[in-house]
Amino acid sequence: MADVELKQKVEELIAANPVLLFMKGTPEMPRCGFSMRVVQVLDAMDVEYGAVDVLPALQPLREVTAEISDWQTFPQLYVNGELLGGADIVEEMFDSGELAEALGVQQPEAAAAPVAPPVQSPPLQIE
Amino acid sequence: MIEAALPGAAVEVFDETGGGDHLRAVVVAPQFEGLARLDQHRLVKAAVKERFEDGAIHALSVKTQVPG
Repeated sequence: MADVELKQKVEELIAANPVLLFMKGTPEMPRCGFSMRVVQVLDAMDVEYGAVDVLPALQPLREVTAEISDWQTFPQLYVNGELLGGADIVEEMFDSGELAEALGVQQPEAAAAPVAPPVQSPPLQIE
Repeated sequence: MIEAALPGAAVEVFDETGGGDHLRAVVVAPQFEGLARLDQHRLVKAAVKERFEDGAIHALSVKTQVPG
């Protein structure tokens, strides 16, 4: 059962901010690669958005968003009161142009998707 | 685990860091038909919930597709 006051506060934030990102860290200093990817996408879209750092109250906020939108991991991007998704979905929607549509903006030129850095580790040789 | 929860699904899992706890899964499942992407992801996450709770997985990237 989520904290009632916190849940109310979160609902107010979602209602008050047409584009709202719950993330780990801040847009200036993301503390998680997934959160950073969504910040990069939003910056590429050149939209104003609110950002909430979830780290100070991670577990209570998980419980709240589980109740509000059946989603417990962060980041979470809300547009016009609806959860769009986390990093994977936001990036897919960016690539397909659905995100620009949801945000009511033009798809940025050159579809310069922030390319995720290759994360494949080199094979280790242990002789 | 994902295959057990979504019979008939084709699942590919990639180890993103070599550490075994940051994974990326590509899931193609007939159950996704007609579902919003958000709901497709919810199904996958529900299937692996236990592994998150016991700490075996820290991060999971998901890409879902309907077989086509």
